[in-house]
Amino acid sequence: MNKPVVRTVAATKIYRKGAHEVRALDGVSLAAESPALIAVVGPSGSGKSSLLHLIGAMDRATSGEVAVAGRSLASMTDAELTAFRRRTVGFVFQAFNLIPNLSALENVMLPMEFNGVTPGARRSRAQALLERVGLAPRASHRPAELSGGEQQRVAIARALANDPPLVLADEPTGNLDSKTGESIVELLAEVARERTVIVATHAEALARMAAAVFHLRDGRLAR
Amino acid sequence: MIRLGLRNAWRSKSWLATTAALIAAPVFLLLVLQAVADAVERQTAILKRTVDNTLQLRARGSMGHVNMEGNKDLLPQRALGIAQRAAHVSRVEHYLLAMTPTEGHNFAMIVGVNPGETKRLESHGEAGNPRLIAGRDLIEADRGRRIAVIGRGVARWAGITADHLGEATLTLDLTRTHPVIFALKRPPVTLRIVGIYASGYVFGDMQLFMPLDTFREVYGVPEGISWLYVQADSVDNVRQVEAALRRELSDAADIIGPTAAAEFEATATRTVRRLAAGGAAIAALLMALVVFFVTLVNVRDRTRELGTLKALGASGGGIAASVVAEALALAALGAAVGAALFALLGNLFAKPFFAVAVRPFLAPQYRDSLADALVLSGASGAQLIAWAALAAVVAAVIGSAWGVRQAIRLSPVEALRHE
Repeated sequence: MNKPVVRTVAATKIYRKGAHEVRALDGVSLAAESPALIAVVGPSGSGKSSLLHLIGAMDRATSGEVAVAGRSLASMTDAELTAFRRRTVGFVFQAFNLIPNLSALENVMLPMEFNGVTPGARRSRAQALLERVGLAPRASHRPAELSGGEQQRVAIARALANDPPLVLADEPTGNLDSKTGESIVELLAEVARERTVIVATHAEALARMAAAVFHLRDGRLAR
Repeated sequence: MIRLGLRNAWRSKSWLATTAALIAAPVFLLLVLQAVADAVERQTAILKRTVDNTLQLRARGSMGHVNMEGNKDLLPQRALGIAQRAAHVSRVEHYLLAMTPTEGHNFAMIVGVNPGETKRLESHGEAGNPRLIAGRDLIEADRGRRIAVIGRGVARWAGITADHLGEATLTLDLTRTHPVIFALKRPPVTLRIVGIYASGYVFGDMQLFMPLDTFREVYGVPEGISWLYVQADSVDNVRQVEAALRRELSDAADIIGPTAAAEFEATATRTVRRLAAGGAAIAALLMALVVFFVTLVNVRDRTRELGTLKALGASGGGIAASVVAEALALAALGAAVGAALFALLGNLFAKPFFAVAVRPFLAPQYRDSLADALVLSGASGAQLIAWAALAAVVAAVIGSAWGVRQAIRLSPVEALRHE
């Protein structure tokens, strides 16, 4: 059995606003192996994004444990979490979140710049990644000049920039038509052959292709 | 990240134009103020170069003429040493004076002077500049000898012409009186006239200069000084020299100091300098305020983008560099626009600005004259660029500080949720 890349033990996330308390995640325990395509499904507000934020080191669990690539995230400082995200996690967002003033190529180069990769090396790797997602001819285009599907492909190439062992995709097909969505699902499935890809999704097609599916309801796992 | 910040500054033409205009206005104001302050500084420098920085000392309440009714008191001889030892003194000259009747109620002034020292004219601010028109001046070898140089008016009265110099003599009768002159019980003295000078003024030409040692012997004045001229090494130090002399000689001497430069320095220059500094501070504050609000708007507009950058692993330093780079780019553009406007319109605005913003704060005697005297010009290219660049950097760094803090402290999760 492969070593799990992601492991959560009773992970709980509570958001507080004044006296009001929202339990976004409630004692979630799971493990995800590598390589694998993992789906996290559930209705809106079930805690899918919160779970991805904890696993992606963007947020801290209120209680419980989250470990990624063998490292517990709870004891890390903010700077360590930032460095951890840079090297270990690639993100794909529902709204693509490309930087509007940068070209497709520059968007893909950005995480490598944060990681201290030399300009020449990051340019050639970014070009290779755009080639892989079928967008090499559109490398110099800005996000506004690309279709939704193309933007998401650029976002996937960007997520792979630093060759992370883990890619997190939050509703990656949510802003796409079904046909374009399918092509993105196929691309993510291909990426998942070499690393762990965890996808928060409503898409049935994607869930059917996943090696494991975690159902979330009201912040709890209902497998 | 710096490149990203610079690109963001250019993200919209209207944003760029508005921000540049808002920053350009205080830069323009700052440069106009600087031009006014520079002009006044230049005026002061000219004044300092041209005004007399020499103090005159006389015996208290006396003109120091050794044979003049009520005015024959002399400065004590020790005043010379005190002046020579005082700090910031570059030159000390001392004189003895007497009067001699000429025709009717007129008279000529007799001056004892060390050879090589200034031939001062009493009638013209005591600091005239007579030029020799015939013969020669007094020289070191003349000390103690009965030799003199006379003004053109004295020569005319004595019937001495340039042709006869060297042989010509003039006899002073020290017993002759005039309504204000004592008759001295001293024998007449005949002086050989070696030079004639002209000052351009009738009264300035009515003087006779003889060596100081000769004067002492002729008039029987073994010690004491009629006039003592003390030159400060700089107009800035005149007051200090004057204070030092007052401490030592206040009981014995009247000290007459030049006031023009010092007063101008103390009133107009200082006032303008303060106004310029205050105005520059306000202009810099305005720039920083503009940058402050621009940065806050920028951070709010870019919240989601900043969240993405954080999610991708951008460090706090990288985020700060991006925000500061954008603020610097906008401030630099604003400064460039302000500087260009100043280069084009600065001279046009500077004088009205001076009239409205500076003139009311000046001493009355400078209100009307200073603006006309000022040569208001745009600073030289390098200076202009340096001032504008400095203002831009300071405003960008200070103004963006809060926005940078906000950006660094953004939670990536909260930022990504931002609509």
